[in-house]
Amino acid sequence: MSDLKIVGLSCPQIDALEKTMGKTRFVSDLDLPNMLHGRILRSPYPHARIKRIDTSRAKTLRGVRAVATHADTPGIMFGPRTEDWSIFAKDRVRFCGDEVAAVAAIDEDIAEEALDLIRVEYEELPYVTDPLEAMKPGAPLVHEDKPGNIGAEFKIEAGNVDEALRNADFVYEERYYTNQVYQAYLEPMGSLVDIDSSGRFTFRIGTQIPSMIRITYAKALDVPLDKVRVIVPDYGGAFGAKMENNVHLVTAILARKTGRPVKIINTRHDDFIAGNPRVPMYIDIKLGATREGMLTGKEVRVVGGAGARVVYAQAIVSTACYRVDSLYRFQHVRSTGYTVYTNTVPTSCFRGFGNSQMTFVLESSMDMVADHLGIDPAELRIRNDIGPNTVSVHGWEIKSCGLKECVSKATQAIGWREKRSNRRPLRGVGLSCCNHVSGNRAFVREFDGGAGIVRVGRDGRVTVYHGESDMGQGQKTAFAQIVAERLGVPLKEISVAEVDTDISPFGFGSFATRGTLMGGNGVLAAATEAFKQLAEVAADMLEANADDIDCRDGNFFVKGSPEIKVPFKDVAEKAAFDRHGAPIVGTGFYDPPTVFPDAKTKYGNISPAYPFGCHVAEVEVDPDTGQVTVLNFAAAHDVGKAINPMATEGQIQGGVAQGLGWTLMENMVTENGKIMNPGFLDYIIPTAMDIPKITPLLVEPVEPNGPYGAKGIGEPALNPSMSAITNAIYNATGIRIKELPVSAEKILAELKNRRSD
Amino acid sequence: MHVNNEEYRLEVEPNRILVDVLREDLGLTGTKKGCGEGKCGSCTVLMDGLPVNSCMVLAVQADGKSILTIEGVATEGKVHPLQKAFAEKGAVQCGYCTPGMILTSKALLDENTAPSEGEIRSAIAGNLCRCTGYSKIVEAIVSCTTDESK
Repeated sequence: MSDLKIVGLSCPQIDALEKTMGKTRFVSDLDLPNMLHGRILRSPYPHARIKRIDTSRAKTLRGVRAVATHADTPGIMFGPRTEDWSIFAKDRVRFCGDEVAAVAAIDEDIAEEALDLIRVEYEELPYVTDPLEAMKPGAPLVHEDKPGNIGAEFKIEAGNVDEALRNADFVYEERYYTNQVYQAYLEPMGSLVDIDSSGRFTFRIGTQIPSMIRITYAKALDVPLDKVRVIVPDYGGAFGAKMENNVHLVTAILARKTGRPVKIINTRHDDFIAGNPRVPMYIDIKLGATREGMLTGKEVRVVGGAGARVVYAQAIVSTACYRVDSLYRFQHVRSTGYTVYTNTVPTSCFRGFGNSQMTFVLESSMDMVADHLGIDPAELRIRNDIGPNTVSVHGWEIKSCGLKECVSKATQAIGWREKRSNRRPLRGVGLSCCNHVSGNRAFVREFDGGAGIVRVGRDGRVTVYHGESDMGQGQKTAFAQIVAERLGVPLKEISVAEVDTDISPFGFGSFATRGTLMGGNGVLAAATEAFKQLAEVAADMLEANADDIDCRDGNFFVKGSPEIKVPFKDVAEKAAFDRHGAPIVGTGFYDPPTVFPDAKTKYGNISPAYPFGCHVAEVEVDPDTGQVTVLNFAAAHDVGKAINPMATEGQIQGGVAQGLGWTLMENMVTENGKIMNPGFLDYIIPTAMDIPKITPLLVEPVEPNGPYGAKGIGEPALNPSMSAITNAIYNATGIRIKELPVSAEKILAELKNRRSD
Repeated sequence: MHVNNEEYRLEVEPNRILVDVLREDLGLTGTKKGCGEGKCGSCTVLMDGLPVNSCMVLAVQADGKSILTIEGVATEGKVHPLQKAFAEKGAVQCGYCTPGMILTSKALLDENTAPSEGEIRSAIAGNLCRCTGYSKIVEAIVSCTTDESK
């Protein structure tokens, strides 16, 4: 592996310079001739019956070209998982922000003015906003056919938990709460939708799931799948949020009604109230350990708020239930998870996907166990580390595992030993670990894996086609590096095509930290195929055997006699001319060694590789305000092999920043069913002044199943950061944070209590 | 007004905001809209050398002023050292905050060629970034200061 030339290099993103020049066209920058602008009328009530909608006045406003409501849709119930969505509310609105009507006009101002002219008569209904309250008998029902507001129930069990907890020397038992937070990507959700004369839709969306979203949208629009084309331009961040959302479908309905392209980009306010924020969870945990610190068993109960309709909440709750079971050598576990409807904005994927919430809880609990038993928290993790080349309690086949090295590196970087033994008042250090997946076979039934197409033109220029999604994390560059390495050409010869479902391979998309491993293996397979075809031509030109041909730095050569060479471009040209103009096209795919888990036990290896990480935070607490400042942060990650170390570091730093924001400042405040802070003034995300030095540390055990040994980084970058900070707060003050976000007022009150004792 | 050293004479409705005029009337889509409320900094342009949130400036307020957008930062085909540094140091991920971030940084360095890291972080505090955690953005700006040992 040490003779890799491009993989492992910290090169700039291939599209970075364009972005610095403002030349990149994001979704919100696009326009088409004859385009209309749309705006959506949203429910002002958390739960109400719609008695009447009168759009007559709105239709007559000059510049308005269409007004749409439920009557303009096929009226089909659909959804990415549970089919409880409709494009517009039919006769009931179920959350503040629910789509009621929409306008397409010649400009945004007119569209917005028209919204004010739409008269809706509502009859308010009782509503419920907290998932625990929603489960109680007598609670208002969000959907009449879902008793107890239960959207889904999940159970998993292995071994004998009750006995394991009985046998423990110490059982820690507590309830935790992780709040609803907003992904806060800088470009709001939206799309540009066009329709052709045959009624075929072309969606230009910033979406993480181009191929999957077609399936849901074709159903919603009541058209065959081939009538939906999805193109993915560059877009401004996602962090999980940009999956299915009604904003795109409303746009399509308006496009169909007018026969013209329509663009709707959410206002920031609308994006807050009708985007898809994180699933809030109540988590009850029982964690048992022997006095030597060996974990015996764990039982958890998760209650997650889905909001008014299920996007992916039930998969997120189930992930919360059992992903951490493969972080340590658990043998006895039981988890129950409830996905509960509430009259609030539908929640969905946010970096970590349930594993963030549960990692916060487990790692806080581990800290309490360490404290009770008088064992160093880092040592406790190492004692229970699942380790490499093993199979976890749920049948996950862990090949590479760099957890121990992550713990060692992160603790060293912060000066853990020194700071734990020489404690300064109101200063502390805390540690937290995580595990994750690189792809999740359980998420999709059809198959998992990745595919690619590598096209080599007569000029030697290489174009890579993939089906995943670059939301800014650097997917394009990672794929380009992999292909450049495999073909043996300089990186600048590679371009990565925009994902267009008419041309690109079917890809499940970028989520579950799968992009680099699945998509990367897919394009690697395609590059290997393209190489084979070119090597035949080169062999001919060099009068050698195809098996004796290799390519480096843009030259094909005979192995062992590198002075006998011919430029890649010349080979490409000859190949094209020999084939009467047909380009070299390599197609390839990756079939991961995973299984769909057993329906009942959930047993089965669901991912080809599992990344691990360890975060260590140092904090200081202000005794006069209760304010917490993070002074220093080290984040060590087992990524298998970093395709681009600089980009991997950037992901880690971004993840830690989001974790810091979640822990110390971010909260969507709901009162009377309304989000009270739908804007950046009152929903605080970290600025440059809030982030300390973050030291990213890469651990590379080289994963056998990854492309050039790579696993993933996206979600693990965030997962341990919340509990690293709260464990540091515990070390600094003895105060255990059981609810996110940390409240300075509560810390101050607690500090005052202690002083008066 | 002058935009990127070119003079424009426009007739605009008095309620139109600068960011929309730049993006829609002049086709300069490099300036982004992230919130429309003056909170995220994605719409930052330089007005007579000072960074402003162009979503909070009425177009008519730019009358007689000199505006610099991201499209005007590279001159005569040469990218600005900040643009090169941002690209090379990994300070660009999704790129949506990047134009605003670069303009704010340029205004800072035009006024103070050797700011401290604290001064840099304070200057860009009005430019939100959700992807990078700011670390590599600060590194990129530091690399463009005259005293690189800071």
